[in-house]
Amino acid sequence: MSEHTTRSGISLKQAYTPEDLQGLDYGKDLNNPGSYPYTRGRRSGAGVGWIQRELSGEGEPSRSNEQLKYLIEKGQMGIDVIGDSPTMACLDPDHPFAANAIGTQGVSLCCLQDYRELYKDLPLSSISVSNSIPPAFAIAGLYLVAKENNIPPEKLRGSVVQAPFYCEDCGYSMHMPFPLRLRLTTDSIEFCSREMPRFHSFLEDTYYISEAGLDVVEEMALGFIEMRHVIRALLARGLDIDTFAPRIAILLNCSMDFFEEIAKIRATRRLFAKMMKEDFGAKDPRSLAVVIASHTSGLSLTAQQPVNNIVRGTVQTLALVLSGVQALEISAFDEAYRTPSPESHLIGLRTQQVIDLETNVIKVADPLGGAYFVESLTDQVEKRIWDKVMEIEGLGDPAELSDKGWFKKFFDNAMERYAREIKDGDTKKVGLNIHQIPEHEDTLLKEVAEGKIEPCWDRIQKIKEFKEKRDQDQIKEVLDQVHEKTKSEGENVMFPILKATEAGATMGEIAGMMRLAYGFPYDPHGVIERLGNFATY
Amino acid sequence: MDKIRVLIGILGMDQHEVGAIAVSRMFRDAGMEVIYAGRFNLPAMILQMTLEEGVDVIGFSCHSWEYLYYVPELLGLLKEKNLSVPVIVGGSVITPSDADVLTKKGVAAAFGPSAEPDEIIETVKRIAG
Repeated sequence: MSEHTTRSGISLKQAYTPEDLQGLDYGKDLNNPGSYPYTRGRRSGAGVGWIQRELSGEGEPSRSNEQLKYLIEKGQMGIDVIGDSPTMACLDPDHPFAANAIGTQGVSLCCLQDYRELYKDLPLSSISVSNSIPPAFAIAGLYLVAKENNIPPEKLRGSVVQAPFYCEDCGYSMHMPFPLRLRLTTDSIEFCSREMPRFHSFLEDTYYISEAGLDVVEEMALGFIEMRHVIRALLARGLDIDTFAPRIAILLNCSMDFFEEIAKIRATRRLFAKMMKEDFGAKDPRSLAVVIASHTSGLSLTAQQPVNNIVRGTVQTLALVLSGVQALEISAFDEAYRTPSPESHLIGLRTQQVIDLETNVIKVADPLGGAYFVESLTDQVEKRIWDKVMEIEGLGDPAELSDKGWFKKFFDNAMERYAREIKDGDTKKVGLNIHQIPEHEDTLLKEVAEGKIEPCWDRIQKIKEFKEKRDQDQIKEVLDQVHEKTKSEGENVMFPILKATEAGATMGEIAGMMRLAYGFPYDPHGVIERLGNFATY
Repeated sequence: MDKIRVLIGILGMDQHEVGAIAVSRMFRDAGMEVIYAGRFNLPAMILQMTLEEGVDVIGFSCHSWEYLYYVPELLGLLKEKNLSVPVIVGGSVITPSDADVLTKKGVAAAFGPSAEPDEIIETVKRIAG
C-alpha cells in the first residue's frame, strides 16, 4: 500500500473538489436515504440505530446461555452465536478430532437438547437470533426450540450465515462437496421463506473470507459472486425473487481504512439494488434495499499491546455507524488470543453504546453523503467491485472454479500478500511493526487477554451416553430417511433434518449421512464408522 | 550440506492456515525443504509422517489452544520411538508463559506473535544440525 492510495490501491488526491462530482446525478446515483438505489441507506429516517450485539458462544450450551443472558442484561439488543470448531465442521464432540477443541472457540452444539439449553429462557419472539453455525442445523435447532416454547416460527427474527462457496477454503470446512453445500443453502433458504419469513436465512458472509487479507474490492466481489450464484439456483427452482430477496443480508468486514470502508458499504448498497432490479427483476422495495451487518476486523488487531485494539474497534465502529449499518459486533480486544472474555465483551458493547448515546452521530442519515471525497471514492470502489465480479464470472462457472481450487489460490495469495505488507511495513500496525515496546512493558490487559478456556472434555462422555440411551431403531430409521431424501434432488432436506433432529439424531450423524448420499465418506477424517450396522448404501 | 527438511503442520481442528503458509514460504525462501502436512493432524499422524519422511525439524503453526495438549502428546510418542527430532511451535496464541511451559516439556523453541523471521530461521538452522 503506497502512501497515496487506499488499502485496495485506489489513488488518492490531496483534496477533493466539486470537479470530482462532475457527472454525478443525484436522483439516479444517490437519491434520498430510503430511496432507490439506496446508496445513502435503506431507510429514510435517521435515529433508528442499529442492533448492538457481541459475538458469543463458549463451552457447553448452558454456559453460552449464561453468557447471552449477561450481555442482554448489559443492554445487548440481539444475540449472535458462533459454534466451536467441531460444530462448524459438523462433527460431534465425541469425534476423535474434536476432543481438545470442544467449546474453546465457540459453543459446542450437536443435538436438540443443546439448542434447548442454549436458548433457555431467552426472549426468542422479540430478540433477533443470529448464527454462525452450519445453516440448516442452526435453523432446525431454532425452529424446533421455538415450537416447543409455543413461539410461532413466523415470529422469529435473526439470521444465519450461508457460506457454500468459500467455507472449505477459509477455515470453516464442513468437508462436504460443493453441490451438497449449495443444496443445504438453497433448501434452508426456501424452507425459511415459507416457515420463517421474518428470518434472514440468506446472510452472505464476506467477513470471514476477507480475514484472509482481502481488500475491500476483493471482499465484495467474492460476496457478489456467491450471492448471484445462490440467487440463480433459487430462481432455477421456480421461486419468485421477491419471496426470498427481502431476507438477504450481508455480513461484511470493517477494517482500518476508514473512508474506504464507508465507500464500500455505500457502493455495496447501490450495486445490490441495481443488480436485484436489473439482473433479477425484483420489484418489492425490500428486495432492493439490502440489510447490512458487520463485524469489525479481527485481522486488524494485534497481539501486542492488546489495549490498542479497543481504539481500533472504536474507529471501525464509527465508520460502520456513519455508513448506516443495521447491526454490528466489535471484534473483542483479546481476539488475537482467545474467544472474548467477559471484560472484552462488555467493552465492545459499551463502545457501541457510547457512540450511540453520547456522540449524536446517528441523528442524521448518511451524514457523509455528498462529500466530494466520499462520493468519488464510492463511485470508484463500486466500479472496481463490479469489474472484478465480471472478470471472475468471465472465467467460467464459479462452482467449477470453487471445485478446482481457484478461490483457494486466491485466498492463499491474499494471505501471503498481507503477511508481506505487514513484514515490510507497507501496512503499518502500531505496536507490531512500528512503535513497538519491549515485552516486559507490554502488560496492560495482558492478563485478561491471556486467560484460557479449557476444552469441555466432559461433553465427550455425556454425548456418548446420550447416544447410547436413544431408541436405536428409531435413530436408524430417521437417518436412513436423511440419506434417502438427500439422494433425491427434488426433496427439501430441511424436513428430514428436522425429523431426525427431533428424534435425537446428532448433527455429526446427519451430516455424515448426507455426505454418504453425495458419494463422500461419512467421516471426513476416516476415523469413525457410521452409527450402527446400517444397510449398505 | 543437504537441505534442512522441515515438516510444517496444523493440529486438530485448528483451520487457520495463514501462518503455516507464510512460514512454509519463509523456510523455502531460506533454502529449506518443507514437507507441508497442512490442516487436520493428530500426533499419531505426525509421528507416522516423521518416520516416513525423515524430517530434521517438526514445526506447528498454532492458532487455537489445541496445541497445548497435542504437542506434549507428540513429544511422548517421539520419545517412545527413540526419535530425537526437535519440535518447534509458533503462532499468535502462544504467550510467553505458554512458551515457558512447553520448553520445559521438551519443545525446542516456541515463537510468539512478536518473533522475527530471521530469529525463527536461525533457530531452525541451529537445532536441525
